[in-house]
Amino acid sequence: MTTTRRAAVLGGNRIPFARQFGPYAEASNQDMLTAALEGLVARHGLAGERLGEVVAGAVIKHSRDFNLTREAVLGSSLAPDTPAYDIQQACGTGLEATILVANKIALGQADSAIAGGVDSASDAPIVVPEKLRQKLLRLNRAKTPADRAKAAISLRPTDLGIQVPAATEPRTGMSMGEHMAITAARWRITREAQDELALASHQKLAAAYERGFFDDLLTPYLGLTRDQNLRPDSTLEKLGSLRTAFGSGPDATMTAANSTPLSDGASAVLLGSEEWAAAHGLKPLAFFVDGETAAVDYLGGEEGLLMAPAYAVPRMLARQGLTLQDFDLYEIHEAFAATVLSTMAAWEDEEFCHDRLGLDAPLGSIDRAKLNVTGSSLAAGHPFAATGGRIVATLAKLLHERGSGARGLISICAAGGQGVVAILEAA
Amino acid sequence: MAVEVLDGPPSTVPLLARAALTARGRHGGEVPERTLRVEDVVVDRHRLAAYQRLTGYDVSDTLPQAYPWVLAFPVQTALMARPDFPVALPGMVHLENRVTTHRRLDAAEPLTLDVTAGALRPHRRGRTLDVRLEARVAGELVWECDSVYLGRGRGSEDAPRGDAPPALPGGPAVAVWRLPDDLGREYASVSGDVNPIHLHPLSARAMGFPRHIAHGMWTYARTLAALGRGSLGPSTSRVWFTKPVFLPSTVELVVQRSGTGVLAGLRSRKDPSTTHVVVTLDA
Repeated sequence: MTTTRRAAVLGGNRIPFARQFGPYAEASNQDMLTAALEGLVARHGLAGERLGEVVAGAVIKHSRDFNLTREAVLGSSLAPDTPAYDIQQACGTGLEATILVANKIALGQADSAIAGGVDSASDAPIVVPEKLRQKLLRLNRAKTPADRAKAAISLRPTDLGIQVPAATEPRTGMSMGEHMAITAARWRITREAQDELALASHQKLAAAYERGFFDDLLTPYLGLTRDQNLRPDSTLEKLGSLRTAFGSGPDATMTAANSTPLSDGASAVLLGSEEWAAAHGLKPLAFFVDGETAAVDYLGGEEGLLMAPAYAVPRMLARQGLTLQDFDLYEIHEAFAATVLSTMAAWEDEEFCHDRLGLDAPLGSIDRAKLNVTGSSLAAGHPFAATGGRIVATLAKLLHERGSGARGLISICAAGGQGVVAILEAA
Repeated sequence: MAVEVLDGPPSTVPLLARAALTARGRHGGEVPERTLRVEDVVVDRHRLAAYQRLTGYDVSDTLPQAYPWVLAFPVQTALMARPDFPVALPGMVHLENRVTTHRRLDAAEPLTLDVTAGALRPHRRGRTLDVRLEARVAGELVWECDSVYLGRGRGSEDAPRGDAPPALPGGPAVAVWRLPDDLGREYASVSGDVNPIHLHPLSARAMGFPRHIAHGMWTYARTLAALGRGSLGPSTSRVWFTKPVFLPSTVELVVQRSGTGVLAGLRSRKDPSTTHVVVTLDA
């Protein structure tokens, strides 16, 4: 193995994203991932086809779903001898899956693959309190009737209760929104700027639907044909009237509208070598150029929880010999409007770029007209692991529309102070 | 044939009660020429999801092949509860079914359902009755089903036998299913088929069964689900309900594929020579 080859993005598919407890409330991760896969298979004529591998994952996962992706493959029309595995890197899952399969294709270890992700905030696993869990395990281990009686007697009515998972950082006990509020304040991101970004996201996503952009990127599911969260006729006045949801006092700027809602959904992206694509009558939309992950130490408050992409991007740019301005399109995941604005502010900031990134000059600003041109997570919703696949498929198609050589940057922040970024180039 | 259009799917429980109260007086050798129709039946997605979950399908927009049967069940019950219907509904046994799906059925499409009872024929354990179900979308026939039921009673030993089901392949099981005691109650709640023979040992005993048995249509749907996506598109499947599955019990799925055809069935885990269900699928 001495040379590498180009991995192409050949197409993508997702189901419309739904709000928590919406139309997908009764659908499991496996149901949704199967639906997204099946739509991709149908659109690209892959029924009965054995692919190199399928890689996907979910952030909120039942223990019974240990083989989630393999089970979804078996439920799909793909050949049952298509291998699969699960990964999980919080909101970076879908993009990390894309990087993994693109690398295997580049190395010749696979000719074709699907990368994806799914999450349900509705069909969430319910966990019993730790104390009760320990006692039940002891009861289960007990061999003699006396041991069983002893274990049973230790159960107390007060042990009962259920814990529903939340987007809370285990080490800080703070929600992602609370973390973000600190970063937003540090970068002096205003309420108005956040609301404007949120409004633009809805307007651009609505316009993309209007022009039929998603016709070959989406399969209707359980009666939904568009993202449920999309509000095409929202206004700045309406957004400005909302109460703040995170942060406190006059500094609080973050609302339910400029933060992503808890969502349900799934996405999948088809990648392959150029030879495999040609043999299957498929045209590459874009090539995968590079990917990078980064993490920050957010525990001591030195850096914001969702700022890792600000570090990942310059490392990848340096490796590629590119500047931040060398892109035709930017897809910065809107975990919160403030995430996008803080990241861009950091790249423009001389002190941050010098002290934190070790650069002689700031990375500079990006042309806002090239940012999230068909909207992003604020409008579409954000089923954690499904967002990467949504963005990769969207960007690949957008770059293809712009023509050969067009270049796009993806930046996705993730829980645990991590970030996953990548570069695609139009085929 | 006279087509009677009902206002909507009738409520099943009062019909079943009426059918039970009038069971004794039913006689005659002629089935009235009558088709009952309900137009534009809208699929309730919550019920569909519960059905899909219980029968082993993914929750999706595509109707499982046996699902229109569930949608037509109230209409079929209404037909059989009519005073001039010659066979008693309680205790009736489902023997066979043949379903053809002409194209994928989407849950968003309202279905017009026709139910027609066909001829009575002698059987060695009573009389059999043919029932035909048809589903249309905007006039287009998309799904059809022919069922054979047995009205138990005085039989005729020399009655001609129908098509015997193909023999199940031997060999190892491809899946083992443990059917819980409450399976009949669970399926009754998602399908509306509250026949007492499926619900509880006591109610089944009142109908002459040693204990309650699984719904044949559950075993059929569960088997089709296990065979993959073939029955979700254009396809024909047949099922023979050869021996009841008492609840709770453990059954084994066996499958033999040849070309586009599949032969599958359920046999008893305890006694593999007992075949409960035989299914063929051509997709």
